[in-house]
Amino acid sequence: MFARVLGHQRQKNLLQRAVASSRLPHAYMFEGPEGIGKCLMALALTKMLFCANGNSCSECPACQKIDHHNHPDLHSISPDGSSIKIEQIRALQKELSYRPLEAPYKVCLIDGAEKMNLAAANALLKTLEEPRPQTLLILLTSTPDAVLPTIRSRCQRLPFSRIPKDKLQEVLVEQLNIDDTQAHILATLSEGSFKKALGKDRELYLQRRRDLLKTLAALSAGSVIPLLDMAQKLAEEKDLLFEILEIMQAFYRDLLLLKHGSPLDELVNIDMLETLNQVSRKEDVTSLLGKLNAIMTSRRHLERNVNRQLAMEVLLLRLVA
Amino acid sequence: MSYLVLARKYRPQSFEDLVGQEHVSQTLGNAIKTGRVHHAFLFTGARGVGKTSAARIFAKALNCEQGLSSQPCNVCQSCLEISSGQGLDVFEIDGASNTGVDDVRELRENIRYLPSRSRYKIFIIDEVHMLSINAFNALLKTLEEPPSHAKFIFATTEPHKIPITILSRCQRFDFRKIPLPLIITRLKEIASAENIQVSERSLGLVARRGEGSMRDALSTFDQVIAFCGETVGDEDVQGLLGMVDRRLLLDTLEGILGHDSRRVLQSVRRVDDLGHSFRQFCRELVEAFRSLVVLKVVPDPEGLLDGAPDELEELRRLAGAVELEDLERAVTVLIRTEGDLAGSSFPRLALEMALVRLAHLPAGREVATLVRQMEDLQRRLDSKAPVVERPATTSFERPVASSAERSPTANPEKPVPGNVEQVAATAPPVGVRTPPVGEVSPDGDGRHGWQDLVQLVRKERPRLGGVLEHGRLLVLELPVVELGFVEGSFHLLQMQGAELQTAFSKIAEDFFGQSISLKVVALREQDQADVPPSLAEERQARESTQRNRVRDEALAHPGIQAVQKILGGDVVQVKPLREGTDLEHKDRK
Repeated sequence: MFARVLGHQRQKNLLQRAVASSRLPHAYMFEGPEGIGKCLMALALTKMLFCANGNSCSECPACQKIDHHNHPDLHSISPDGSSIKIEQIRALQKELSYRPLEAPYKVCLIDGAEKMNLAAANALLKTLEEPRPQTLLILLTSTPDAVLPTIRSRCQRLPFSRIPKDKLQEVLVEQLNIDDTQAHILATLSEGSFKKALGKDRELYLQRRRDLLKTLAALSAGSVIPLLDMAQKLAEEKDLLFEILEIMQAFYRDLLLLKHGSPLDELVNIDMLETLNQVSRKEDVTSLLGKLNAIMTSRRHLERNVNRQLAMEVLLLRLVA
Repeated sequence: MSYLVLARKYRPQSFEDLVGQEHVSQTLGNAIKTGRVHHAFLFTGARGVGKTSAARIFAKALNCEQGLSSQPCNVCQSCLEISSGQGLDVFEIDGASNTGVDDVRELRENIRYLPSRSRYKIFIIDEVHMLSINAFNALLKTLEEPPSHAKFIFATTEPHKIPITILSRCQRFDFRKIPLPLIITRLKEIASAENIQVSERSLGLVARRGEGSMRDALSTFDQVIAFCGETVGDEDVQGLLGMVDRRLLLDTLEGILGHDSRRVLQSVRRVDDLGHSFRQFCRELVEAFRSLVVLKVVPDPEGLLDGAPDELEELRRLAGAVELEDLERAVTVLIRTEGDLAGSSFPRLALEMALVRLAHLPAGREVATLVRQMEDLQRRLDSKAPVVERPATTSFERPVASSAERSPTANPEKPVPGNVEQVAATAPPVGVRTPPVGEVSPDGDGRHGWQDLVQLVRKERPRLGGVLEHGRLLVLELPVVELGFVEGSFHLLQMQGAELQTAFSKIAEDFFGQSISLKVVALREQDQADVPPSLAEERQARESTQRNRVRDEALAHPGIQAVQKILGGDVVQVKPLREGTDLEHKDRK
C-alpha cells in the first residue's frame, strides 16, 4: 500500500495497524528530516482511507483525485511566503466545519507545521484538540521543537528516521546512473534525504568537491595570498556557501575518523584517500576538533549575516593554522 | 462514530477524576459549598494538565440541575449538554481564533441577557493569551462588574501574556504538572478499562514521555495501543518511543569514561545504523550521565533513579571510577550538544565531535581546587623566596652582588643563589627550597619546607632541632628523607641514636602527613662541597654576606668617603642599626 514510499517500514506498520484497528487519532504529527518521504507517506495514508477498493489502488476515482491533488476532502496547507498565516488556518477551520463530501474522512495536510506563525498556531489549538468527527489532521515538520508545545501535545507524534545510507545509495545508482563511489559520496553527504541527494547540488558534491578540497589541503600557513584568494572565491558562492562548508566539515570529519582507524566505508571522500592520508599525518585529534569547531562557528556567523569574505578569511586562517 | 483518542475519551468529568490538581478542585469545591463563588477565574499551567477539563467540570458544577454542588451529577440535561459541548448557556470561546475587539463586543452584547435555562451564563475563553490588547481592554469593565448571572473562566498556558489589569480581576489557579506516579496510576486505570495488557515498566516509559502532561502521556499510549493491539510488549514500546538500547548507551558511557574515542565513534555508527535520532540518543546519554552523578552523590538513590538492578550495578561500577567534576563537565558538554543538534545540518558530525572531545578531555580539576593550589604556591613563593628576590632588600641588591665578589672578606661559601639552586635540584617533587634562615613565614604556611620542619622540631625538641640544623638535607622525596652529617662529628653521633631518630620521624610524619623513612648518612670532608649546606652553615653564610654588604654599602657612602678623605681615618667597625633603614656610620680616628 505504501509502495511508493521507500523505507520507513515501522511507520508503515504503525499506520496500517492504526487504520486496521480503527484507532486512527484525529491528529498526527510526522517528524523527520526534509525530503525523506513524510509527505508521500501522508498521501499514501490518505489514499488508504479514501480508496474505494480499500487497497490504495491508484485507479479508482478517489485515488486518482488524490494523485492529481484535487480531491475535495483533502486539504493541504503550506507556508504562504515564509510562514503559514492565520487566514489560512481560518479558511481551514471553515472547511473542516463541513462534513466530508465524498470520502469517509476529511484530511488536512499541514506541510511545514513549524512555519505556522504564532497567531496561526494558536488559532489551530482548539481545532486540533477536538475537531469534528471524521477529521484527520496531519502535520508535517522537520523541526518538531520549533512547533508550539501545546500543538505537539495535541498530536500523535510519529518520528521518521533518516533513510539508511545503503538504501539511498542503491536508489541513487539506479536512478542517476552513477557508479558506487559517487553514489556513496552523495548518499553520505545528503544525510539520508532524497531531496538533497537528487537535488541540484550533485555537480557540487561530485566534481567541485575534489577541486575544493585539493585547494584546501594545499593551503599552508605561509601562503597568505592563495588563502585570501580562496576566501574571496568562497565568499562569492553566496548560494552554495553552506553546502561548501558542509563539504569541508565532511573532509575534516574523514580525517578525524581516519585518526581513529574507522573502516573506510564510514568516510565520505573515499575517492581522495591519498590526500586524506597525507593530511592526516600532519594533524592530531585536538587540532582537528578545533578546525571542525571553527567551521561550525563560521557557519553560525554566516547565519547571522556577517561579512562573508571576512568570515571566510578567518575560517581559512584557522584551518591552516 | 469515529475513534476518539484516549485523551478525549477519558477527559475528566468530575473533580475526582482531575488528577494531580487537588489544590484546585478543593478550592473550587469549597467555594461552591460555601456559596462564595467569584465571577472570574483564570486557569494557568502547562499543556495537558487539565485546565480546559477543570473549566468544563466547574461549569457543570455551577449549572447542574441537581443543585449547586461541588459534584456535578453528570446525568442531568445540563451536565450532558456541557459534556458534549452543546450547552446553551455555556459559551466555550476559542480565544486564539476570536482575538479582536469585535469579538469581545459581541460577547458584551450577549452577556446582558439572562441565561436561557440554567443558573449562570458561563463564558469559557480558552487560549485567552491570544486576545489582542484592545480586546482585553474592552473586557475590563465587564470583567470587573459582570451581571450576577455571568461567570468567566479563562484558560491559558501563557499567563505572562495577560495584562495585569485582567489578572487582578480574576481568581488565579495555577495547575501543576502531574507527578509521574499519578500518571502511571491513571494509565493503569485506562488500560484496564480498555482491556489492554501492559506491563508496569512500559507504562512507566509512556508516562515519562508525557513529562508531566496527561495528554502527552495519553497520546503516546494511544500510539502504543495502535501499534501493539491488546497486548503490549516491552520491546515494542521501547522501539516505538525510539528508546536507545541500554547496552549501547552503557558502551558509549564506558567509551567516554575510558577515554576510548574509537569505541565512542563505533557507538555513533551503531546509532546511525539503527536509525535512532541522534538527538534522542544525546538526550538519553545526558540521562545516563545524570544517573552517574546521582549515584556519585547519593548513597541510596531509591526513588531518584529507576532501572533494572543489574543496570544500576553497572552504572555504579562506572560511577566509582570517575570524578564528579568530570561527570559534570560531560553533562554540560552533552546538554549543549543536544541543543546544537536541533539546528545542526550534519547532526552525526556534531555528535561525533562532542563525544570524541569528551573522550579526549584530560582529567578534570575543580576550579576551586586549582585556585587553592595556586594560592598555596603563591604564598610559598612569597614566604620562601631566595634572599636575592626579597623586595625589602632590593635597594641593596645590585651593589651587593658585585661588591661581594670583589670583597676580599667575602665568605667562602657565599654565593647564596647558587646554593638555593642546588638544593632545589635535589628535591624537585616536593618543591623544597632551602630558604635563608629566619625567613619562616609568620603564619606557618608552606608546610613542605625543610626549614619549617626544623623550626617545628626546634620548638618541640630543642636538642634535636639543634642537631638537625647541622644536618644537610640530601634527599627529600617523600617518603624518603636522607640527611647527611659530617663524618665523626658530634651531630652525626647524636643523630645515629635510635631515640632521636624516632622522635624526628614522629614529628616529621605529623608534618608531612605521611609516613617517612629516615636515612642518616655520614659525609666525608671531601664530599662536603657537593652537597647542600646545612641550615646552620647557611645562616652563617647569610649573616656574613649581610655584614659584608652593610659594610660595603657604608664604605661606599659619599659622606664616609668624604670624611675619610678629609680626616684620613680608618674605618674600624660598621654596625647596622636594628630600627629604621638608615645606617649610622661610626668612624673613629
